[in-house]
Amino acid sequence: MTTLQADVLVIGGGATGAGVAWDCALRGYDTVLVDRRDLAEGTSGRFHGLLHSGGRYVVKDPDAAVECVEENAIVRRVAADAVEDTGGLFVSTPGDDLAYGDRFLEGCRASHLPVEEIGVAEALRREPLLNPGITRAFVVPDASVDVWKLVWALADGAAAHGARVLTYHRVVGIRRDGDEVCGARLRNELSGEEVDVEAAFTINASGAWAAEVAEMAGCEGIHVAPGKGIMIAMNHRLVNTVVNRLVMPADGDILVPIRTVSVIGTTDIRSRHADELPVTQEEVDQMLDDGDRLVPGLRSARALRVWAGVRPLFEDKKTGETDSTRDVSRSHAMLDHLERDGLRRFLTITGGKLTTYRLMAKDIVDAMVRQRGEARPCRTAETPLPGSEEGRPYRLGVRLRAREDELRSEQIICECELVGRRRLEDAMRRRGTANLDDIRRNLRLGMGPCQGGFCMYRAAGILHGIGRMDGPRATGSLRHFLQERWKGMWPVLYGDQLRQARLDDWIFQGLLDVEHVPADTNGLPAPVDAELEATPLL
Amino acid sequence: MSYDVIVVGTGVAGLAAAVRLAEDGARVLVLAKGIGATHLTGATVDVLGYDPERVEAPGDALGRLVAAQPGHPYARVGAEAVGEALAWLRAQVAASPFAPYAYEGGLERNHLLPTAVGAPKPTAMAPRTMLAGDLRAGGAPICIAGIRRLKDFHPLLCAENIAAATGTEARGVELDLPLTGRADENAQGLARQLEDPVVRGALVQQLANTLRVGERVGLPAVLGLGDPHAVWSDLEHRLGRPVFEIPTLPPSVPGMRLYTILRAALRRAGGRQVIGPEVVGPVAAGARLEGLRVRVGKREEVRRAGHVVLATGGFASGGLQLDSRWRARDAALGLPLAGVPEPGELRFTPRYFEDQPMARAGIAVDDELRPLGADGEPSYENVRVAGASIAGAAPWKEKSGEGISLATGLRAAGLILHATRTAAAPAAGATMEAP
Repeated sequence: MTTLQADVLVIGGGATGAGVAWDCALRGYDTVLVDRRDLAEGTSGRFHGLLHSGGRYVVKDPDAAVECVEENAIVRRVAADAVEDTGGLFVSTPGDDLAYGDRFLEGCRASHLPVEEIGVAEALRREPLLNPGITRAFVVPDASVDVWKLVWALADGAAAHGARVLTYHRVVGIRRDGDEVCGARLRNELSGEEVDVEAAFTINASGAWAAEVAEMAGCEGIHVAPGKGIMIAMNHRLVNTVVNRLVMPADGDILVPIRTVSVIGTTDIRSRHADELPVTQEEVDQMLDDGDRLVPGLRSARALRVWAGVRPLFEDKKTGETDSTRDVSRSHAMLDHLERDGLRRFLTITGGKLTTYRLMAKDIVDAMVRQRGEARPCRTAETPLPGSEEGRPYRLGVRLRAREDELRSEQIICECELVGRRRLEDAMRRRGTANLDDIRRNLRLGMGPCQGGFCMYRAAGILHGIGRMDGPRATGSLRHFLQERWKGMWPVLYGDQLRQARLDDWIFQGLLDVEHVPADTNGLPAPVDAELEATPLL
Repeated sequence: MSYDVIVVGTGVAGLAAAVRLAEDGARVLVLAKGIGATHLTGATVDVLGYDPERVEAPGDALGRLVAAQPGHPYARVGAEAVGEALAWLRAQVAASPFAPYAYEGGLERNHLLPTAVGAPKPTAMAPRTMLAGDLRAGGAPICIAGIRRLKDFHPLLCAENIAAATGTEARGVELDLPLTGRADENAQGLARQLEDPVVRGALVQQLANTLRVGERVGLPAVLGLGDPHAVWSDLEHRLGRPVFEIPTLPPSVPGMRLYTILRAALRRAGGRQVIGPEVVGPVAAGARLEGLRVRVGKREEVRRAGHVVLATGGFASGGLQLDSRWRARDAALGLPLAGVPEPGELRFTPRYFEDQPMARAGIAVDDELRPLGADGEPSYENVRVAGASIAGAAPWKEKSGEGISLATGLRAAGLILHATRTAAAPAAGATMEAP
């Protein structure tokens, strides 16, 4: 068994955990970051991509709004490369309460959120596909954020400061010595090997799974309510500005342009467990109808993929259960297990939202620093992440420009997302993974309209070619990818995307017949059973 | 100009029907929104490869399938018609400008031809340029040679999987050819370049250095578009050993050849083909289809014909459609589809390689290939459906796509010829005149 020593063990490789690792590393702590799957594969990778201006919370939760206003400005600066400055609009659709607009405006002022009301004609000029029946429109500084880019920048930044990042390492036990937590035992989910991490301090940043991790340390009674939200990626940038419906937060009221797609979200349904997130036909239908209110015709546009994420909403047992998880506070929850359970060197952070990942990390690392009796100030508000040193936000089209210069010398492997062969080979070598789905999240390979129909055979061939892994393993990667992608496709297969899916079947089953090649899936994560169960549609 | 028959769709089913009709003297117009699905296929003629186990003798298996699955398109035409359809295509290819480029095979034994990922795929009939790749009973060792410029074919992966799947000795090499143009080249562009003897010379030279005694050579299917036999036989001759092609990702060069062959046959027989117009609806008079509403650019016009062959393909080709409210129809005539799961039932399952409930959805037809309405009665007496639009098959799972398209396309043509002969017995052609 391998044993690692560290100052801090961070459990959970979402935005919060990666943010904690980055914060710790910048303060000079020797840090180990672990996740049971890949980075940003839980809640962080399953959200709509909105960097909140705060507008969504100004009426309902002014504290959360103020946090968003401040963090939005910081994240745009330190993580510029992951942020697209789309701007945002709040619009009243026909039938919406007009008075809400006045409360909204009031709330914005109280939260110091820069807001400007514009005329309907101007709003429609900016976003021609918007419902022409809108009655009011407000401009706010919403943005969209590429979460995989953000989380990997955090992890890479931490690694550049000496942190070790262990993906596919599940915590199977928390190490305790009397009333002190001193690390954890991990299991490599791909190889089965066990690893001990001896850490002077352990931070549980496992989000929706925080209660389970805390229980391993013997801390009972924590409840993290899994609030399921579904999101659908539409094939085009139906809008170029984030569009919010000007109502109290409800279902299907946000449309976020991100990279080459736009994402409509979201719902809020309490789910049984954070690992059980079935998407039902009814939810998809409801989402499409809601989207149609913002952008008429959305229903006949092409849906690429649907997914469900789970909000980690902390609940204290004392306040009792609520029907909708949306009534639970959005502000993040910090648990000092010394105060709560008499357990030293162990802290839990959960709840919150992606926009405030940095603040959450700062708060929890500050708490650790206090418990250690040290004085190491947080530096994440000033220190740009790797790739964001110049502070220039991401702009749609930069890759196209770069590709145009290289067309004579470089193959494009994924035409939809403009992924070149060199970048792909570099990513495969750097990550040393046989998992094409990991590569997908890193490069957006196969995230476009054909959902990997053309690029995944190529990618499997290249993976085999550079890694010199055997054919059955590369084929196993391809088959694993096809199953992973199908998971997000099958509930939204209609219209042109059904046509695309059948074309892809033609390629993978008819032309290549990948079903009848020996495939070795050792070293690939097993699918989550719940995701493979057929769910009732109505 | 009026037509006896309008064929909608220009894939294998539509073109086969049109050629057959035109050769028999009918005035035929092929209307298609775009170029057909031939450009996607490997252009092998898959008749029945899995049922659900791998099929060795497709003729025998067809007999069993027809008996066991009365709702399958093959049950509409019968096994014998499939054998005739293969013979018909062999004859068409033999008479084509590409001859002696030829198709070989039949219903007795499936070939096992390697795919680009190295799967041994059962297929009844294939271009001669592919047959040396047959993986039945081991055979000579194989060298799969890729061309680095072509990202749509990966020889090392292909070779290793061939070896793992069949035990045939196989290895892969990658060649750097002196090609012009961009770093990216698809199969079509490479096929053009390989028509240049200089490029072929470089290929031969590089390969000759690496080939071992007794090896046969597999190449991506890019051996020429204008005169494929010449390119292929030149390589066999100069390498002094069997050479075979393996289909790549689309665009498919052998698929384009097949398209060219059938289109040339149509022209020769006096048929006409127009690409671009979209059939958007029927002009009906009771149980007869009087004509088709056709959109040409922004204009809509009516095209009349005595008979219509609907060969617009399945969901992949856009011939069948499903909207977000799960309403399914055929795109050209708005015919209802059979085999679509009811509301509340699963249309797809979360496991990709499982049989998908929607997979067999399509237009239900009677033994005369006429489309059936919800009441089980033919919607139009003078419309025949051919190819992937017909309900009841899972072509990619079964490896049956081209077999179904050919057999139903030719049957549709035969039925129309029979009907017109019968009806026209007193006065030839009288029923076919457009008003």
